[in-house]
Amino acid sequence: MNPDTRDPAGAGDEMSSAAVPAGLPAAAAIHRRVLASGVALDLLVVPTDRGAGSSDASMTDMTGLLRDWVSATAGAALAVVVPLYDCLVAWAPGRAAIVGPPEHLASLETAIIAFAAQDASLRDAERRGTAILDAIDADVAASTEPESWSREQQRGLTSRYHEAVTIGCRLSLLSSAIHAPPIHPPTLVTQLGERLRDRTRLVERHELATERAALAERVSEASRQRALELSVARQQIGLEWVIVVLLVVQTALLVVDMLASRGAT
Amino acid sequence: MTTVNPPPHAFSRRPPRIAIVGGGPGGLFTAWTIEEEAALPVAITIFEATDRLGGKACTPQFSTAAVWYEAGAAELYDYEAVGDDPLRELVRGLGLPTVPLTGSAVHVAGHRIACLDDLEHFHGKDARDRLVAFDTWARSAMTPQEFFESGSDHATAACPTSRFDTALDSIRSPEARGYVETMIHSDLATEPVATTTAYGLQNYLMMDPAYMRLYRIAGGNEQLVTAITTRLAAEVRRTSTVTAICGEDDGRFTVTWRSGDRTDQELFDIVIVALPVAALPGITFRDDHLAAAMQRHLAHHDHPAHYLRVSLLLDGPAPPVPGEDDYLMVDAFGGACLYVESGRDPVARHGVLGWLLGGEAAATMAGLSDDAITAAAIDALPPPLDGCRGRILEARVHRWIGAVSAVPGGWQPLPVAARHRPSPAHANLFVVGDYLYDSTLNGALDSAAYVAGWVTSSLTCAAHDSPPRTRTDSPV
Repeated sequence: MNPDTRDPAGAGDEMSSAAVPAGLPAAAAIHRRVLASGVALDLLVVPTDRGAGSSDASMTDMTGLLRDWVSATAGAALAVVVPLYDCLVAWAPGRAAIVGPPEHLASLETAIIAFAAQDASLRDAERRGTAILDAIDADVAASTEPESWSREQQRGLTSRYHEAVTIGCRLSLLSSAIHAPPIHPPTLVTQLGERLRDRTRLVERHELATERAALAERVSEASRQRALELSVARQQIGLEWVIVVLLVVQTALLVVDMLASRGAT
Repeated sequence: MTTVNPPPHAFSRRPPRIAIVGGGPGGLFTAWTIEEEAALPVAITIFEATDRLGGKACTPQFSTAAVWYEAGAAELYDYEAVGDDPLRELVRGLGLPTVPLTGSAVHVAGHRIACLDDLEHFHGKDARDRLVAFDTWARSAMTPQEFFESGSDHATAACPTSRFDTALDSIRSPEARGYVETMIHSDLATEPVATTTAYGLQNYLMMDPAYMRLYRIAGGNEQLVTAITTRLAAEVRRTSTVTAICGEDDGRFTVTWRSGDRTDQELFDIVIVALPVAALPGITFRDDHLAAAMQRHLAHHDHPAHYLRVSLLLDGPAPPVPGEDDYLMVDAFGGACLYVESGRDPVARHGVLGWLLGGEAAATMAGLSDDAITAAAIDALPPPLDGCRGRILEARVHRWIGAVSAVPGGWQPLPVAARHRPSPAHANLFVVGDYLYDSTLNGALDSAAYVAGWVTSSLTCAAHDSPPRTRTDSPV
């Protein structure tokens, strides 16, 4: 199997509810691809004639149209347009559009789905990592104040620790794809993948997410450790009081016993 | 024969006087590095024949509009993916912002090929397979580390010195071969038949980001030499042409120079000749032994290669190049590079297109008038830039004939020490130049750093009355 045509994201087909924007060639069509992570990607495919370079007027007109279309669900700030020779690609989370001659469409689709899968995984890791960090203040405070420590908080902290470890593993699995060096001589798939990675700063985002996951793991582990120590300490104090009480009782019984035996003599 | 090593304490009572002949990148890098590394005060004098410093690092402006363009070296090489990169560190240290340069499209035989898919589409799977086979062979013949170390003694000893055209013969597909030849011709600046496989492979593998990346200095590459010049303590004598160098009995050198109608002589402890190889015959070495040594040096390195730059100013912004490329390779002029110099400037009011012609085409066209060269350059604009033909406001032509060195097949590089000191008997006369390495600004800095290290080490040893360490290999 040619690695360029393999579907790295394990995507499946589904019907899309999105409509083809007006002004595009009649052959344009939308396919919904469901990535392995469960995230759906609406893919607008626009076949053109070879030689219609991306600087041609028709392509230039199409650029704005496609940018607006992919931005509709995710917002314009996240939209990326990548012009390639004879081809044009627009992407935003959840939507992508590829324009090019028919012989290139399969390669473009392979590249965009692989990229969308990487981005979706990274975006999920970023979101979950942020949620952990948002709870860190409360976790740290609670772990140092034994009086306010509740069993519910303890369970939450444990689950966040597990979550941080899981995110770290996911990011580690992603790193080989995201940090892959540029390939030379390039293929259309590698060219588009590299351009999209550059334009969406996937490498920098991955590094930041990895650092945040590591921080979340360190802090939640330390908080958990601290909480456990305090919990054990509290149990120890209780146990010590029990021992003290038992010793007092034992001493009292001994005294009573001694007094009783003395009275008898 | 006149001289010998200077007495060990020769420099101990006064700052040693160093003459640097040539105010191009090699001369300025040498002066800069000596001033940076010398543990003792030194008195450096730079002689420059013209009124401008910088040589091939040349970023003038058009007269129609205040828009700069690269008239000489268009790009710098970034080796940081493989190892330490002194030029990158220098640029960073001087606080100069840089811009990456990328390009993927090769216009050859009427087709634009930007990736393997295009090659297969136009010329079939066989062409693609042949190119991939050549690429695989090229990588195995020269690893990134070997590429990085090319120029050092141990790397040059291992490099194949067969002719590059014989290596290209292994590409059995003419279309794939045409793609490779067009892609590298302007960087090669000579023909495959006139250079070695090692030099050809370097120019092919430089397209691979695993080996190196290209960048330029934002605002023009001449900013590099400007930044250095403003920080130099050295005395710079412009329009001062060194005409003769003579070794004296005490180990010093008499440098004869001419400025306008005036001719003068001065004594120097150390002389560093930092000229293009084509300019070396302009100096008379008044000492039979030294003259013979310089003649041998010249004969070994005089393999001229040529560039021609044609810069076109547009009446408005340049059209966007697909793939966000900064340059295209075109099979016109035997294989040329077309830079879209304004491509990454979103607010540029004028686009600038810069042709880089190399090899025989550059040498042949250099004999034509500027107008004829410009007309040919405009006529050869490929899509998507062919629409600019009616939009040219001004054109400038710069000829760099014999400005760089080809490396002919069978040619064996000298050891690094011998490259830089042509006459061992004249221990304090050195030669610096990009032609001693790979004819790039990076090569010029490597050469300058080598000689500067040698000079400063000698000065330190002389100050401590200890014999200078003998250098046998490149530290760079």
